[in-house]
Amino acid sequence: MSTSAAVFWQKNPALAWREIDDETVIISPNDSVMHELNDTGSFLWKNIDGKKSAAELAELLVENYEVTPDMALSDTQALLEEMSSRKLVVTVPATGGVSP
Amino acid sequence: MTATLSAGATPVMDRLISRTVEKHRPLSVHFDLTYRCNERCVHCYLDHHDHGELTTAECLNVLEELARSGTLFLTFSGGEIFLRPDLYEILAAARRLHFDISLKSNALLVTAERAARLRCLAVRRVQISVYSDIPAVHDAITKVPGSLERTLAAIPILLEHGLQVKLACPLMQENLMAYRGVMALAEKLGVPYILDLTITPMMDGSGGPLAHRVSVSSLLPVLRDPALNACKPQPSSEAAPAIKALPATFGSAVSSGIESAAYEDLPCSAGHNSCYISPYGDVFPCVQLPQAAGNLRREKFEDIWYHAPQLERLRAIRESQLPICSRCEIRSYCERCPGLALMEGGDMLGAYQRACALAEEKARLAGVAAPMSALHIKQNAALAQTTLEPEFASLRTNSGSD
Repeated sequence: MSTSAAVFWQKNPALAWREIDDETVIISPNDSVMHELNDTGSFLWKNIDGKKSAAELAELLVENYEVTPDMALSDTQALLEEMSSRKLVVTVPATGGVSP
Repeated sequence: MTATLSAGATPVMDRLISRTVEKHRPLSVHFDLTYRCNERCVHCYLDHHDHGELTTAECLNVLEELARSGTLFLTFSGGEIFLRPDLYEILAAARRLHFDISLKSNALLVTAERAARLRCLAVRRVQISVYSDIPAVHDAITKVPGSLERTLAAIPILLEHGLQVKLACPLMQENLMAYRGVMALAEKLGVPYILDLTITPMMDGSGGPLAHRVSVSSLLPVLRDPALNACKPQPSSEAAPAIKALPATFGSAVSSGIESAAYEDLPCSAGHNSCYISPYGDVFPCVQLPQAAGNLRREKFEDIWYHAPQLERLRAIRESQLPICSRCEIRSYCERCPGLALMEGGDMLGAYQRACALAEEKARLAGVAAPMSALHIKQNAALAQTTLEPEFASLRTNSGSD
C-alpha cells in the first residue's frame, strides 16, 4: 500500500454503507463484517472519492475541525491504512486505474 | 479529534439498532417488488394478481427516498422477484445507492448467468424457501411438480458465485415433521436455515392459509426437540419467527439484531427502525401488520415514516403497558406479534390465543409448573363467574324463600 501524495484514495465499490446521524456503517459483502466510523471518520469517508490524496483529505479535516495539520495528516493516514487493511478502500494512481 | 473505525458484527449492530430505534431511522426495509408468483404455495397470504405494481421509475424513486432516509438493509421479495423483468435495473440502482441487499426467492428461475449478475450487483444473501427435503412434500405445498429439484439445483449455483444462501422453512400441517430433513439439508450444504411456525391470514384478513397451520398440541414434538432449543425464555418479545436456528458455525457476521436490548419493552422493530413496502407502494410497519401508513405514489417516504398516525400509534406501544400481556407471568416464553394480535385477536395491544397457548407449552416444557397466560387466567375467571353467578342467584333465591 502506498500513501504517497501521488496516490488517491477510493472506496471499495463492492461495499454497502450508509451514513446515519453522522456515523457511518460499512458492510463488506464477502465476509459480512460490519465496520463503524465516527463523525470525523465519516467526514473522511464522504470525501474519499478517488480524486484526493491523504494530504488533501487531511487538509479538509483542518478546514472543518479544530485540529492541527500534523494531527490531521497523522489521523488521516492511520485511518486510511486501517481501512485499506480491511479492504474498505483502495488506492488509485494519478494515471488512473485501481492499485491491487 | 480522532477518526475511528470499529468492527465486529454484534457490537456494531447493537449500537446501530440502539441509535436507529431511538431516532426512528428506517434501518431495514422489506420491499416486495411483485405479488406475482410461479408457485402456488398452499399457505401463502398474497393475492398473486397484479393490481398495478410500481413501475421501474417508481421503484427507483422509492430507493432514492429510502437511501436519503438512512435505510441500509434492503430485502427484495415477492411473490417471485425474478418475475420482474426490470429486477436487474432495480438491483443496479440499489447497488449505486450502497444498500446492503438481500433477496427472498423460490430460486426456480436461478441460472448461472443470473447468479453471476446478482454477484456483480453485490447482492449479499438469497433466502430460499424449502419446505422439505422430500420432493413429494415440497411440491405438494408449492403445487409445482419438480419444484424442489429445481430449487435445490439453484443453491450450489448461488454458492459457487459467492452469494450467501439461507434456507427458510415455514412449518405447517403438510410438512411439520420435515424440518429435520431441512436441517440436515442445510448442514450438508453448509448454509444457515430458519424454521418458521408463523402462518398468517391473507393480507385482506381472510383466514384461508390458517387451515394449514399446525395446532399447538401437534407442535409439541418440535418444541421438545433439543436440536432447536425452542423452549428457552426469549430475551424479549419479538415479531420474529417462533423458532430461529442459526448454528454458529454457519452464522453470518451480520446478525439480524432482532434480539438487541434496544428493543426491550418494544413489541418488535416494526415502525421503529423497519417497515414493509408493497408492490403497489403502500407502506406498512411490517408485512404482518397490514395497516397501511401511506402510499408512495401520493406521498414522500419521509412524510409517511415520520408523520403517519398509524406509525406514531405503534411507536407509543410499550410491552410493559399492554393491558393483559404486561401482567402475564410467562411473558418471557411468548413471541407475541402486534400484527398477529391485530389480525387474530382484533387488537394490536391485545393477547391472542395462539401466542398464549404456545407460550404455555414452551413454559411447561421448560419446567414451569402449571403455566397459564394472563389471557387464559382472565378467561377462566370470567367463565367461573358466568357459571357461578346463576348458582349464587339460585342460592340467594332459595335462601330468601326459606
